[in-house]
Amino acid sequence: MKRRKHLLLWTSLGTLVLLGWAIYEEHFSQEWRLLQDQYRMRLEPAAARSFAVQLRQIVVPALNTTDRCVSCHVGMAAGETPIEGHPVFGSHPPVAHDPSEFGCTVCHGGQGRATRIADAHGTAPFWPQPMLPRGFAYAGCGSCHTHLAVTNLDQLERGRSLVERFDCLRCHELEGRGGTTRPFQATGPPAPDLSAVGARGFSPGWHDQHLERSRDAADGYWKDSITVLDVGQRRDLETFLRSRAGAPGLVESKALFHSQGCRGCHKVNAVGGDDGPDLSLAGQKDPALLDFSGLPGERSLPEWLREHFRAPAKVVAGSQMPYLGLDDEQIEGLTFYMLSLRRTSFPEAYWPPDRVRAQLLGERDFSADGATLYGTFCAACHGPRGQGMRYPGTSAFPAVANPDFLELASDEFLLTAIRRGRPGRRMPAWGETEGGLTETEILTLASYLRRLGGREPEPDGQPARWVRAEAESGGALYAQNCASCHGVEGQGGEGTALRNPVLLESASDTYLTETIWRGRRGTTMPAFSEASTIHRSLTRPEIESIVAFIRSWETRP
Amino acid sequence: MTHPESTQPTSRLDPERVPRRDFLGLAALWSSLAAGFVALLGILRLPKAAVLPAPSRKFRVEVPESLAPGVPFEPAGRNVTLFRDQQGSVYAISKVCTHLGCIVRTDPAGFHCPCHGSNFDSLGEVLKGPAPAPLAWFAVQRASDGTWIVNEGQTVPQGTKEG
Amino acid sequence: MATAECRPALARFWANLKAVPALFRASAFRAGSPVSDRSRSSFVFGNVFLHLHSVRVHRWTLRWATTWGLGLITLAAFLIALLTGILLMFYYKPYPAVAYDSIKDIHFVVPTGRFIRNIHRWSANLMVVAVILHMARVFYTASYRRPREFNWVVGMVLLVLTLGLSFTGYLLPWDQLAYWAITIGANIAQSPREVTDALGLTAWFDLGGLQKLLLLGSDEVGEEALIRFYLLHVMILPIALLMLLAVHFWRIRKDGGLARPEDADGRLPAPARRLFPVFTQLPQKTYHLAALVRGRTPAMGPPENTLPSLPHLFYAEAGVLMLSVFICLLLALLSDAPLKELANPAVPENPAKAPWYFLGLQELVSHSAFMGGVGIPALVMIGLGLIPFLDREERGTGDWFGGPGGASLVVRATAFGLGACILLEAFTIRFGWLRQWWPEVPQLAITVANPGTLLALAYAWYSLWVMRRFDSTRAGALALFTCFLCGFVVLTVIGYHFRGPNWDFYWSPSQWPGH
Repeated sequence: MKRRKHLLLWTSLGTLVLLGWAIYEEHFSQEWRLLQDQYRMRLEPAAARSFAVQLRQIVVPALNTTDRCVSCHVGMAAGETPIEGHPVFGSHPPVAHDPSEFGCTVCHGGQGRATRIADAHGTAPFWPQPMLPRGFAYAGCGSCHTHLAVTNLDQLERGRSLVERFDCLRCHELEGRGGTTRPFQATGPPAPDLSAVGARGFSPGWHDQHLERSRDAADGYWKDSITVLDVGQRRDLETFLRSRAGAPGLVESKALFHSQGCRGCHKVNAVGGDDGPDLSLAGQKDPALLDFSGLPGERSLPEWLREHFRAPAKVVAGSQMPYLGLDDEQIEGLTFYMLSLRRTSFPEAYWPPDRVRAQLLGERDFSADGATLYGTFCAACHGPRGQGMRYPGTSAFPAVANPDFLELASDEFLLTAIRRGRPGRRMPAWGETEGGLTETEILTLASYLRRLGGREPEPDGQPARWVRAEAESGGALYAQNCASCHGVEGQGGEGTALRNPVLLESASDTYLTETIWRGRRGTTMPAFSEASTIHRSLTRPEIESIVAFIRSWETRP
Repeated sequence: MTHPESTQPTSRLDPERVPRRDFLGLAALWSSLAAGFVALLGILRLPKAAVLPAPSRKFRVEVPESLAPGVPFEPAGRNVTLFRDQQGSVYAISKVCTHLGCIVRTDPAGFHCPCHGSNFDSLGEVLKGPAPAPLAWFAVQRASDGTWIVNEGQTVPQGTKEG
Repeated sequence: MATAECRPALARFWANLKAVPALFRASAFRAGSPVSDRSRSSFVFGNVFLHLHSVRVHRWTLRWATTWGLGLITLAAFLIALLTGILLMFYYKPYPAVAYDSIKDIHFVVPTGRFIRNIHRWSANLMVVAVILHMARVFYTASYRRPREFNWVVGMVLLVLTLGLSFTGYLLPWDQLAYWAITIGANIAQSPREVTDALGLTAWFDLGGLQKLLLLGSDEVGEEALIRFYLLHVMILPIALLMLLAVHFWRIRKDGGLARPEDADGRLPAPARRLFPVFTQLPQKTYHLAALVRGRTPAMGPPENTLPSLPHLFYAEAGVLMLSVFICLLLALLSDAPLKELANPAVPENPAKAPWYFLGLQELVSHSAFMGGVGIPALVMIGLGLIPFLDREERGTGDWFGGPGGASLVVRATAFGLGACILLEAFTIRFGWLRQWWPEVPQLAITVANPGTLLALAYAWYSLWVMRRFDSTRAGALALFTCFLCGFVVLTVIGYHFRGPNWDFYWSPSQWPGH
């Protein structure tokens, strides 16, 4: 009996202790509660009395957002006073969107429902979308602004250097820099902040207005800091200003991405090549599903992306992606852009203009000039100047801006090559249903190629198929002279794969015979009109028989 | 009943000698009751939600510049009516009846509650019916982009206008 | 006159009002405060919650070693789970789009929500452990024998209901863990198809498909499955369990309390107080009459070695109940219930593991879906159900490991059960099975001859051998039960600890690739 009473007594007392412990955990030791207590102590006594220690949240049903971040970051909660400069209780930096209308996680990632630091910031296990690290905060704009239009990287750089050259930042603030001087007087209003001038819009007569002010001013900054810009400089500067949409870093990184030709292999928003994985959601990869074996440093998505750009095959075994030889700044930029690829779905009423324009009106998020198109879709393989490329461990990519090639290739041949690609090879088809380029864009690309190589096609009076030679002897000649580079079966090797249906269909006989006869200077393709140390010269009939042999692949299975 | 406490019971009808000052037993019983009581407090704590799943009570609305004075403007999905006065200032009046929370109908003369017949004038003052208090006025604020921010969480004295 | 009559009535009213507390107490405790044996009996008798107990319990029943309180712990865990489960229903929303979010809310913002959910989770686990141990206790003390055969069968149904409750609760958080565990569970339900396919019967008689369809309400785990699991978890299974629980307890009384050895009275230490002779008073209550019906006439029996339930049994019960609460609370404070990422039908968990108590089955299922998921479990359940009807011996009832062979037989059977299972598993892990040796082997051959069936056969052979050797059904049952218990433990440990992605063998989860 006594033992039974002891059992009841001690288990009851133990339960009481455990309940006390639970009360302590629930009521006194929660992180947000401790933080709010700290916050309250920093408030004025009157404000502290009216401040209630309680959970706070931002709920936006349309975005499916329930963000309790403001339970700790109290300064950002509606109606509370921020404590400036404090890492937790400070105010939100000025941004285009009011956090109380959009919530926090839609931009920053992390877990809005959580109320413990590790869970909320997403460093806890089983949270697939951790917060964007501090330096990459603006990559969060990509969740909604999936189609932010950016211009050519060179143009951006020119505009930025003009801003520096003419010292615009003396008076204007731009992305947290400059704006120290008040243009009128020391106590006067500051010059407009240019950080979001692209979104806000600016007067088309800004240049003349500045000049007028400068003329009227007797002395001071207005007098000696305004310079007359020429039309080209004005265009570059305005393009740059239009790109300032309040998302510093994002525009530059996207332009960088476009200049590197990544979309030659990767699709983003349904436009791009299909050799590599679709990157449209690359910023939402779950770090828990990534392979970090052999990687130093922390196990986070940015770290993984950085290492991946540094040496793709080291991170993803068997990756087809070549070693790109990027510098650190480019790696940071590309990582930034990858993190911004985090498209979320939400009602159309919330779509930003860029998404509406792109998805409903079919506008592009890359500028449609030839240089950008070539840089975005072609440069990675064919080289920035069309000179061809060879990555370690890959066969050579053709030099598409080779003058000898452009002289022989008709416009139709170029267009077909771009439109339909080379089936079975790495060259993707760029037509609207495959690579996603429009007919106009393909035309622009072809004419840009002509500009790169500086050659127009030679007029060709012959019909497309005029060779009437006997293929059997051509086969022997092919085996002697061509097979070592183009492959015994025309499957390609060092040289182009000739046994390709689209190539054979679109290449004229003149194109084929003349290419063999003249060769391509600057590439490994020799001219067979003359003998060299490794081959004898071929006669025109011999070349025609080779062409006939190549043609026979069209009908042979 | 009186029991002979000193002698052994001889049948089950007699009370057993139970030590009434059994400290161990009493401590066990009371501590188990205390544990149950504290647990009950915890249980009662659960149904009172710490946060309500309601969206923000502050919302942004575009009031047409052409809105005539005294003509009600009713943003979709919110139980608030907005007005402009002669000077173009904007004010917001709650549409929640102060009687039992029905949503009042806006008519040119004022507001009319369909549930129990309360009538309010165009400033929310009670004219008739069981409503104990005038309709609430909410804080209105002009945003930098020209839209208006109405805060349903903040009532203001009648007659407070903005703009 | 009217006023004269009025005054006493008012006074009476006032007096009655003052007497309400006393009257209320008297009406609640009709027999007065439980101070004497008699009033205590009446108290137990007249209380709807207590009258499931007999008013006096045998002193053998009150020994710790008789039961170790396992049945009570199971009951306590169930009650805790019931209470916390009802509380969780305040906030849980059984719909895929919001189920996960509502669990997150319970975890993060509901006052005491995380704690309550942890208690619910741990009490469910405690219940499964305790119910298995309780069954082992009943078996090893041979308490299933006549007249308790039926209660043994009821207990088995309760075991199945317990596992069902735990399993259906597993899906409700709608996270990856839940989603894939339930996908596997549903496919185990579908596994009879393995046999009907092999026999070419599926087109006519698709039992597996029907089972899965009934469970999920669809081809895949989706919203229909969630609402079904919710209904089973909060309504059908708890009601069924409560009703059977009442039967279970009622049968304990009707079957004469807990089983005890024939010579229990002699083996107990001498009582501290003198005993009353049996029924020196005239029968006044129905339970006296019940004693008469059983053939014991008053004043004829020897002194009864019993104690009043109140307070002796109730202290023990309250103590065990509180102990269970303590265990659940402690575990709940030390370890949070898991919640992985939102269920994603496109990204399977690897490895996707069932709840721990099904991992033994999952290990068997990895050899043959039908045999592991349906065949062997069904055989085990039928075998368990038959035990009390096959073992009609008398020796050893109420004694731990009672019967021929005794504890030493159990030790040897444990060695055999563990050894056979570990060897067979090690062999399969090291050398593979039929499919690896002869890729063309028909599925039916694997269904018939796989490590699971071989293990069951080995156990059956061993117990038959033991039965012959000791010339006792009880000895055979002891061996078989012990073997299966060991097999269950070994397979569960292998499934829990040694199986990694693709159900491959790993010495430790830290060696899993990619983690």
